[in-house]
Amino acid sequence: MLEDLTAAGPLRAFLISADEAFVRQVQGIWPDTCIQWMVFDRAGAAVEQLFSDPPALLVSDAQLPDMTGDALVTLVKSENVYSQVAVVLCLPNEALHAGRDWSTLEADDFVLLPFEQEEFKARIELTLARMTRTLDANPLTRLPGNTTIIQFIKDNIEKRRDFALGYVDLDNFKAFNDKYGFLRGDEALMMAARVIVNTVRSFPGGMNFVGHVGGDDFVFALPLDTVEAACRRLIARFDAIVPSFYDAEDRERGSIVSNDRRGEVQTFPLMSVSIAVVCNRDGSLGHYAEASAIASQLKKKAKENFASCFVIDQRAG
Amino acid sequence: MTQDMRTAYKGRVLAVKNLPTLPKVLEEVTRLMEDPGTSTEQIAKVITYDQVLSAKVLKMVNSPIYGFPGRISSIQHALVLLGFNVVRGLIISTSVFDDMNKAMAGLWDHSVGCALACGEIAKILGMKDPEEYAVAGLLHDLGKVVSAVQLPEIKPELEALVRARDITFLEAEKSLLGFGHDRVNAWLAEHWNLPPNISEAIAYHHKPLSAQLYTKYACVVHIGDFLTRVYEFGNGGDDNVPVFQPHAMKLLGLNQRALENVLDALSDAFLEAADISFS
Repeated sequence: MLEDLTAAGPLRAFLISADEAFVRQVQGIWPDTCIQWMVFDRAGAAVEQLFSDPPALLVSDAQLPDMTGDALVTLVKSENVYSQVAVVLCLPNEALHAGRDWSTLEADDFVLLPFEQEEFKARIELTLARMTRTLDANPLTRLPGNTTIIQFIKDNIEKRRDFALGYVDLDNFKAFNDKYGFLRGDEALMMAARVIVNTVRSFPGGMNFVGHVGGDDFVFALPLDTVEAACRRLIARFDAIVPSFYDAEDRERGSIVSNDRRGEVQTFPLMSVSIAVVCNRDGSLGHYAEASAIASQLKKKAKENFASCFVIDQRAG
Repeated sequence: MTQDMRTAYKGRVLAVKNLPTLPKVLEEVTRLMEDPGTSTEQIAKVITYDQVLSAKVLKMVNSPIYGFPGRISSIQHALVLLGFNVVRGLIISTSVFDDMNKAMAGLWDHSVGCALACGEIAKILGMKDPEEYAVAGLLHDLGKVVSAVQLPEIKPELEALVRARDITFLEAEKSLLGFGHDRVNAWLAEHWNLPPNISEAIAYHHKPLSAQLYTKYACVVHIGDFLTRVYEFGNGGDDNVPVFQPHAMKLLGLNQRALENVLDALSDAFLEAADISFS
């Protein structure tokens, strides 16, 4: 896991402690190529840098010469822009029995001192992994978000793995949202997410990934030889289920009728899915951006069709 | 019957946790799920032979955690949305009835029969979603199962009363409990966020014209229940035929000829079902 996080270079981490022996011990755990520590013996010295150029990880001693570790943690975590910093507080062993209210501790995890090296290592790595997972996840569907999606694509391009990448979006989602409100819109997105996840999972082959870019945009990855069957199954399932999300009258009619801004009557068909599939065959994709560029080209083609449909990138690798 | 007792019964009924079922369908679904080549359609088809498993699947998919409560009334759709993992979990956590309650096997057959009848009626009337009418038919007596499990001391009394006075199960329930299984159905449907079409159908199958939004669903289940009793397919808990409301046929536009078509289709469907009966 730490390998993934440090693929783009060593992780920047701040260590704030006045205890030199502790600092040396921590610095000895990971190689410099993995985690690069910046050490501060006082909180005051670190705060400005922390705010102007936040690290990925902050490890702080509970007792600092100029303030408590708790206060420092609160200072960082109370600002939404710094909440992505993984914060681990090092507490003296007695703290465990002091009857404190743990729910008010804003750190992401804590380590008791003196620490055992393996446990310290495990805690930090788990905290980092957990932070990436939870922060990147889409708040509605909890599927992995953009950071994970981009990382996934980059990784697989770099490793020259063959794979097919499906870009899914919903047609006429906006009309649905406008008529029924965003809560009903969220229902439809949750449904779409389940259909995509379970359809992708129903194909064997190891590589199956689903991410939620945001709104009505989703991404999935599958082996090249299963992607066409997966698209067909996904469309059949979505089209069968989507009428249940409309009121009886609209379902019966098979469309939404609404007035546009000029008061003219407009008719929108029930939602459908468009899927643009980009293939990486023998390293045909050179770069992540290429995948999304091809996808948006294909999307236009897919959108020419009123009903649910998919377009697969047929260029030879 | 005092209001307090009714509230107490309702509380006990809704506290139902692990509703057991009969072993046959459970075993068949388990077997199917072990084969990676099994399709969702195959599993859905078997699950629609078991009212308890069907109810569990719909309860799960309509629970708020999935984000679309009250939307799904098709077993097939529910399986797609839940996925194999979750369905497997549901199957593993379902236990089998003990010997005493195996006597309820007739009720499983009656429910399957009613599902078939409702599906046929909906098809012949040209309804859009015959499968969902079938689901409503399958679940129409779920309240009887839940009451039997949650109020075990009442069950022998009910059976004795039905025998002694030769009345319907519904009449016995009303005289002993103060409410019938139709009311239990309404409580369960609300508590489990079942979609309004299923909810109204199972809550009003004995007085279909009182259903407000999905009167047609209630009428189809009312007629389906009646026909299943007439054919004596399975057993609904008594030897009587429920009071029939002819207005239900009128409301559906089910004329003599269409009814004859339904009866013909049903004779075949019941014969076929008797062969693959799971109970």
